[in-house]
Amino acid sequence: MSGLTFRLRAPPDERLDLSQLTPGRLAALPAAEIPRLVVGTSKSKLTVGDVFAHKGQAGDRVTIVGGSSRLDFIGDELDQGTVVVDGEVGICAGRSMRGGRLEIRGDAGAWLASGLAGGVVFVKGSAAGYVGGQRAGDKFGMTGGTVVIEGDAGDRTGERMRRGTIIVRGRCGACAGSRMLGGTIWAERGFGPATGVLMRRGTLIGPAVETMLPTFADTGRHDLVILRILSRYLAATLGPLAPRALSGGVRKFAGDLATIGKGEILITA
Amino acid sequence: MKVNGIAIDDTFAEAFGMSATGVVITADSARWARQAAVTMSGFGTSVIGCGAEVGIDRELKPEETPDGRPGVRVLLFGFSPDALAPQLKNRVGQCVLTSPGSACYSGVDAKKRIGLGQGPRFFGDGFQTAKRLGKSRYWRVPVMDGEFVVEETSGVVTDAVGGGNVLILGNDRAGLLATAEAGVAAIAAVPDTITPFPGGIVRSGSKVGSKYKGMVASTNDAFCPTLRGRVKSELGPDTVAVLEIVIDGLSSEAVAAAMKAALKTIVETGAAKGVTRVSAGNYGGKLGQHHYHLRKLLP
Repeated sequence: MSGLTFRLRAPPDERLDLSQLTPGRLAALPAAEIPRLVVGTSKSKLTVGDVFAHKGQAGDRVTIVGGSSRLDFIGDELDQGTVVVDGEVGICAGRSMRGGRLEIRGDAGAWLASGLAGGVVFVKGSAAGYVGGQRAGDKFGMTGGTVVIEGDAGDRTGERMRRGTIIVRGRCGACAGSRMLGGTIWAERGFGPATGVLMRRGTLIGPAVETMLPTFADTGRHDLVILRILSRYLAATLGPLAPRALSGGVRKFAGDLATIGKGEILITA
Repeated sequence: MKVNGIAIDDTFAEAFGMSATGVVITADSARWARQAAVTMSGFGTSVIGCGAEVGIDRELKPEETPDGRPGVRVLLFGFSPDALAPQLKNRVGQCVLTSPGSACYSGVDAKKRIGLGQGPRFFGDGFQTAKRLGKSRYWRVPVMDGEFVVEETSGVVTDAVGGGNVLILGNDRAGLLATAEAGVAAIAAVPDTITPFPGGIVRSGSKVGSKYKGMVASTNDAFCPTLRGRVKSELGPDTVAVLEIVIDGLSSEAVAAAMKAALKTIVETGAAKGVTRVSAGNYGGKLGQHHYHLRKLLP
């Protein structure tokens, strides 16, 4: 597997826009142009060469060694290939991805996978708020693809999400699935308060919700075929990253009845 | 030509190009998956009178189905994708949606699609919801025992084959039936094929046309033993009955494999049960695109 490796020379003094560092975009450039790409976001016009020492040849993989919470827009519009970050990242990692794989071996900032339409985003650590969420000017949050977070996710995970799957090994903060239009959020250690506020459709799965909103109706325990399909689909597409298949039934809360109420919170415990 | 004492006619089965789709039906148990599949396959013997030819391809193990429950694959054959669409909608809506614990998924992997859950979902009266996973969209329709899950579309192919056949002739009607049953059982092991007639066996082979207006087909008098001597019969003096196995397949290769499996069983076990001759139905080779010569398919 060929590819380029970028090693961070020192913690950056400003936020960096690394949207250009994807396999497809780098492969389209002459090798000499790569260190001259501007990644700075201030008047200093920092370039790739100023910030990183790089080696290798453009291919289907980009590796960034050395993380920082100032490394923004990593994997932006990725459509094929793999981007790996050996460390933490800033805001909007995996923004508008359409395919491929983004692997973050650290924590991620806000708006991880915002506008995601396809591909897989994997975070070894935790993620800040608005995972798969809507940014200003967006019509929706994520519309496809899969996000797996080994740690916790912040507030408003899946804000106005339309399709796709978010798996959180840890816990989601407040207002997960807020204004959600579809898709699935599966938090293996549960959800914070106001979960599903104003959600129209979609599915939230977890062992507990800190405080269930009064606008969700308890429909009782059910053995849902769709959860079997979901478990098998995730096992087939994610392999060892997939959540453990559910056994037995779930308790279904339908809502948010402050809207059309076609969403659901499924309590696994 | 004789094999194990059974005469093999130097003739061929003539079959036609058809469109085909399929579904995978699952349920809490194999019994109930089979029940829904059998119900859906009812009144699906001949495309001319039934609108579609429908039958069970095979049973599926839990690990082979989308939801990990026991399943059955049903295939439907028709004149065109447009003709199959209402058949699929009605049969799923009336026979699968209604069956306890059932779910229904696409059973043919093809780029061209026809509606599967697009009609039955409206039974949910606005309470139905959908979930897209990968390329598939699943409808969840609330019903009295939980939810009926049905995939939105099913694949359809236009290069399927309908009308592969084997005629079994002999001097013992019960023995013929047992031999035909064994032939159908052999075909059941061939993937991508169905035998749409009752138990896979036809006793009313037909010819094209009739003396009566409006009848597009009528009894194949040349193969009716009670008409021997009255018509230009194809039957020898010792033949007391003729049974036919009709085969539809998703491909010409599948139909040929099914005929081969049936012929092997018939020539290996038929003589002891009164089978004296094997033939095949055709229209002189002028109507169907697919010809399966019996002697080339012998074991």
